[in-house]
Amino acid sequence: MAVLPFGREPKDPKKILKPIAVEKKSKRGQGTSAISNRVLVPATLDTATAVPLPYIFEARGIAKKFDDGQVQALRGVNFDVSQGDFLAVTGPSGCGKTTLLQMLGALDRPTKGTLLYRGNSIPDLHDPSRYRALEIGFIFQAFHLLPTFTALENVEIPMFEGRLPHSERRDRAVALLESVGLGHRLNHFPAKLSGGERQRVAIARSLANSPSVLLADEPTGNLDSENAQVILELIIRIHREQKMTVVLVTHDMIIAQRASRTIQMKDGRIVSDRESANAGV
Amino acid sequence: MTFFTVVTRGLIRRPVRTGLTILGISVGIAAVVALVGISRGFSKSWETGMKARGTDVVVSNMGSSLVPKPFSASVRDRIAHLPHVDATCGILVDLIGIENTQMIMVSAREWGGFSWNNLKLISGRMPRDGAEPAVVLGRTAADVLKKKVGDKIQIETGELSVVGIVDGNAWVENGSVILSLPIFQEIAGNRDKINIIDIRVTQSTSAEDVELLCEEINRLVPEGRAVVAGEHISKSEAYRMVQAMSWGTSLLAVLVGVLGVMNTMLMTVFERTQEICVLLALGWRRGRIIRMVLWESALLGLLGGVAGVLIGAAGVKVLGMTPAIRGLLEPDLSINLLAISVAIAVAVGVVSGLYPAWRSSRLLPSRALLG
Repeated sequence: MAVLPFGREPKDPKKILKPIAVEKKSKRGQGTSAISNRVLVPATLDTATAVPLPYIFEARGIAKKFDDGQVQALRGVNFDVSQGDFLAVTGPSGCGKTTLLQMLGALDRPTKGTLLYRGNSIPDLHDPSRYRALEIGFIFQAFHLLPTFTALENVEIPMFEGRLPHSERRDRAVALLESVGLGHRLNHFPAKLSGGERQRVAIARSLANSPSVLLADEPTGNLDSENAQVILELIIRIHREQKMTVVLVTHDMIIAQRASRTIQMKDGRIVSDRESANAGV
Repeated sequence: MTFFTVVTRGLIRRPVRTGLTILGISVGIAAVVALVGISRGFSKSWETGMKARGTDVVVSNMGSSLVPKPFSASVRDRIAHLPHVDATCGILVDLIGIENTQMIMVSAREWGGFSWNNLKLISGRMPRDGAEPAVVLGRTAADVLKKKVGDKIQIETGELSVVGIVDGNAWVENGSVILSLPIFQEIAGNRDKINIIDIRVTQSTSAEDVELLCEEINRLVPEGRAVVAGEHISKSEAYRMVQAMSWGTSLLAVLVGVLGVMNTMLMTVFERTQEICVLLALGWRRGRIIRMVLWESALLGLLGGVAGVLIGAAGVKVLGMTPAIRGLLEPDLSINLLAISVAIAVAVGVVSGLYPAWRSSRLLPSRALLG
């Protein structure tokens, strides 16, 4: 079992996005690739190494079967994700995008293959809960806010497993909600928020414990085009300002083009892996 | 926000269901409080009644009935001369229906015996002698029978005069019809029979000597059994049976409560499958999920327990005012019983939550990304 030294590079749990008024219009900037200098180095479980690993994720021959092998969702997937990448994973329904995201987030285990996070095997993590709590921020298509908790409380929920002392959680949740433009909606229950607002709360929640990686599963899938644009810009901003690694699953090629790199999947395999020439980040 | 906030929100989300579940537990706990409180109260009332009469040792044969079996009055003579015995008083007690009252205690005492001494007159007078066809009524008995000094009272075939109302300084005494032994022996057709001998020991007698005296009496008198006052009820088969039935019935009601809470908590877990999976995906440990479900369940139990104690206590008070029970016994609503009842309710909550908590801990975080 690998014991992951989360927080090897000390993170400031109080680090917050600069509060902004959320942009309504897309402004495609001139993005620079964040995947330069990608060098393959052997995976290691040596957690004491002082040399920073070039990859945050390394996948080698990942396969996943469901229903006693009747369904094969992934068929030998290989890819690497560098620290600070903005990776879009696209493909038709059932191609294995979400399954791949589950593997990266330690929500499920591959049937075969090697999957590393900072050189440590994700399926063999000693404490996957801690990994999910401290290293990963999840954004779901259906938002998945808890209906009986206010926006503020929803953002506080992951902090039960975080590093912040109890007395500072509320302040951080307020700051996060303000940073996504919801300072005036702190005490609203999800039912009283629009779809776009709910997803912004979910984004604030994903940042609660200052994760290293954002995993977003069709984050704009349940939104109209205007709100989808707002959410996309917000994710891009988080990636840019916090140098955060983002893996975003989408079937929308227009959204995928905003990423610095796009993986296209089909039938459980990666059919293309390319950097976006016109990425907006 | 604290973890307790999370727990309470889980219960508040379905207020009607939560309320009904709490009601379900509270009925079970109310049954514990009422039934056990009444059966304990019966024993306690006798104990205080004995003490009020100045009795240290009681000789009786409780057998399996609620009133002792009669034996010859001559037994008293075999006991009276024993060391440490200061005084004796032969008594014939019975629980009978008088006029419109379903059941009331009739306590016929040897005329001149010390058991008369604790009675304080409130009104009227005491019987003039052991042969006067008269009774004195404990204050509660007078209330229940709606009698006052000067009225007639029909006991079985005998019509007697109510000559006084007394305060006996104990629930049982106040709920009794008290009269001279030969009068009741005649009426009940139990001539020369008694079923209780009250014994007062000499002042310097130690507790050990009292025990030795009991042993001596038991050796000498096979007709009855001598026990320290107050213990004769709790040692009787009938009382033990009543107590076992009380606990049995109560625990059956509690079992229904367990099933109610378990059902509610299982529903909660099933309903919140997606939410629990999301919590797991957000990094909540399975232990925290288990704690959340168990705390919710325990809180249901606690609320049900408190409500049950209140309902049970109120119910017992109401029961205590009914003619059938009034004057017979004083329900025992000790802090001890109430605390045990609430503890049972919390335990019910925790036990009922174990299976739902286990189920919740088996959920897969990967389901958070589905739907």
